[in-house]
Amino acid sequence: MKLFLREQFPLILFYIVQLFIITIVYWLDGYRHLTISLYAALLSSCLLISYLVFRYITNRSFYKRLENPLSSMDEFMNVDHSTPLAVSLHELLTSQFRHYKTDLQDYSRKLDGHIQFINQWVHQMKTPISVIHLMIQDKDESPYTEIGDELERLRKGLEMVLYISRLNTFDRDFYVETLSLEKIVRSVSSAQKRLFIRKHVFPMIEVPENLQVTSDEKWLSFVLTQLITNAIRYTIHENRKIYFRGFTRGIHSVLEIQDEGVGIPKSDLPRVFDPYFTGENGRHFQESTGMGLYLTKQICEKLGHRIEIESTINKGTIVRIIF
Amino acid sequence: MFKIFIIEDDRQLVKLLQEHLHKFGFDTKSVVNFESIRSEFEQYSPHLVLLDVNLPKYDGYYWCRQIRNISTCPILFISARDGKMDHVMALENGGDDYITKPFDYEIVIAKINSQLRRAYGDYSGSPNERSVDVNGLKLDVERLLLSLRDNMVDLSHTEAKILDELMKKQECVVSRDRLLEKIWDDQAFVDDNTLNVYITRVRKKLASLQIEDAIETIRGQGYRLNPNWGDVE
Repeated sequence: MKLFLREQFPLILFYIVQLFIITIVYWLDGYRHLTISLYAALLSSCLLISYLVFRYITNRSFYKRLENPLSSMDEFMNVDHSTPLAVSLHELLTSQFRHYKTDLQDYSRKLDGHIQFINQWVHQMKTPISVIHLMIQDKDESPYTEIGDELERLRKGLEMVLYISRLNTFDRDFYVETLSLEKIVRSVSSAQKRLFIRKHVFPMIEVPENLQVTSDEKWLSFVLTQLITNAIRYTIHENRKIYFRGFTRGIHSVLEIQDEGVGIPKSDLPRVFDPYFTGENGRHFQESTGMGLYLTKQICEKLGHRIEIESTINKGTIVRIIF
Repeated sequence: MFKIFIIEDDRQLVKLLQEHLHKFGFDTKSVVNFESIRSEFEQYSPHLVLLDVNLPKYDGYYWCRQIRNISTCPILFISARDGKMDHVMALENGGDDYITKPFDYEIVIAKINSQLRRAYGDYSGSPNERSVDVNGLKLDVERLLLSLRDNMVDLSHTEAKILDELMKKQECVVSRDRLLEKIWDDQAFVDDNTLNVYITRVRKKLASLQIEDAIETIRGQGYRLNPNWGDVE
C-alpha cells in the first residue's frame, strides 16, 4: 500500500495542479459559481479515486511481492500477474534468473570437474609413491631413511589435498557407525610410528576398551592423524609422552590428547582454527600449513563433535574431542 | 610352485613386486597386452591374481568379473583408492581382498599366503616358508623357533622379529629406530626402554644356545649381529 501510494503520488499531485489551473482559467474568464466548480472538482476526484482503487486492486499481488523480500530463489516463480507491467517485469526477472542459474550450474559443474581431477591426480601420484616406498623398504641407511621421511611428508600432503577436496562433498561421503575409540586411537597412532620413533616421543594410550563413539571412521582417523602429528611436531624434547585419555563427561564420550610440547601462546589460541593461520609456532617450526587444525574443526563440526583446546607455554597442549 | 598373475600397468611397480615374489619362491607373470587379459590369464592359469583397479581401457572391476567367469582363484586388488565404496566394489565384483597403495611387502606376502592357504590348503613344507640361516643358526619365522645344531629354543613374536632383522643384515648395524618400528605393532606401550628389554631377552635366548656376545651394541646407532659361533660342518 505504501509503495503504491508513493508510486502514484506524482499523479495525484499532477491532478491537483491541473484541477487548480482549470478552475483559475474559468474564474478569470468571469465564471464565478463556486459551488458548481466544487461539484465538478468532487466528481473528477471521485473518478481519480476509483481509477486508483482499480489500479490498486488489479496490481495488489504485484505490489505485495515488491514490498516483501524473497525468502528463497524459487518463490517468485509461481505468482500470477494480470497487468502488463507486472507480467513483463516478471518475465524479465524470470529470464534473468534463468541466466543466473545456467551460470551457477556452469560453475558447479566446473567445481565438480576440478574436484574429480584432484581426486584422480592424487590417486595417480600414489603409484610413484608406492614404487619409491617399495624400493627403499629394506634399506636402513642414509640417505634411504631420509628419503623415507620425505616420502611420508609427501604422502601426508597428498592425503590432506584429498580430504580438503572431499570436504565439499562431505554429505555424500560419510558413513556413521559405532566405533571402538581405543581401536581407532591405536591404529592411527600406530600408522604414525615412524614419526614417533624419529622424534623419540611415545604414545600412552589410556582409553577404556569398551568406550564407544558414533562417528565416521575415515574422517575421524584423519582428524586424529592431524592432532597426533601436531602433538609430535611441537614436542621438542626427547623421551616425552603423548597421552591419549578416554572418558565420559555427562552423556558425551571425550577423547583427550595431551602433549608435553612447546604449547601455544595465549594470543594465538583463539585463532588456531582459522584457515592458513600459523601463528608464533608456525614461524619457528617448518611445515606449518595452517590447514591442519582448520580442517580438524571443520570435519568435527560436520560430524557433530565439539573440539576444545587448552595450552600452557612450555608445558604442553591439550585437545579434547567431545563426541 | 604357486603362480601369480600380476595385472598392473606401472612397469616399475610390477618389476619390484616380481623381484620380491621370486625371493619367496613364487612364479610370476605380468600382463603384456591390456586388451587380452582374459586370454593371457587362461594361458598362464595362475593360482592367484594381483589386480590393479585403474587400468588402460577397462578397469580392474571389469577384468575381475571376466576372470570370475572362468576361474575361482583368489583375486587380490591393489589400488590407490582407499574409500569404503572402493572396497565394497572390489569385493562385490568378485575380489577376495584389498590392498591400498602405498603398501609394505610384508602385507602383500602375508595376504597372498593367507589367500593361498585358504584356497589350496595348508602348504607347510612349501618353498614359500620363511626361514633365515646364518652360519648354521636357523630362525623359523613362522614357527617362532631358533635352532643351532641340535639345540632349539622358542621365541616370542617380538623376539623373532628382532632376530629376523638382525640376521638378515648380519655384520651390519641395524638402527634402533628400525627395530622399534618393526616391533611397534606387537606392543601396547612402546618407548626407548622396550627395545632394551627385548634385546636383553634375545641375548638370553642366544646364550641358551651357547652363543655369547653375538649382539653388539653400537652406541647411538643400533645393534650388530656378529656370527661368532663358527661354521657348523
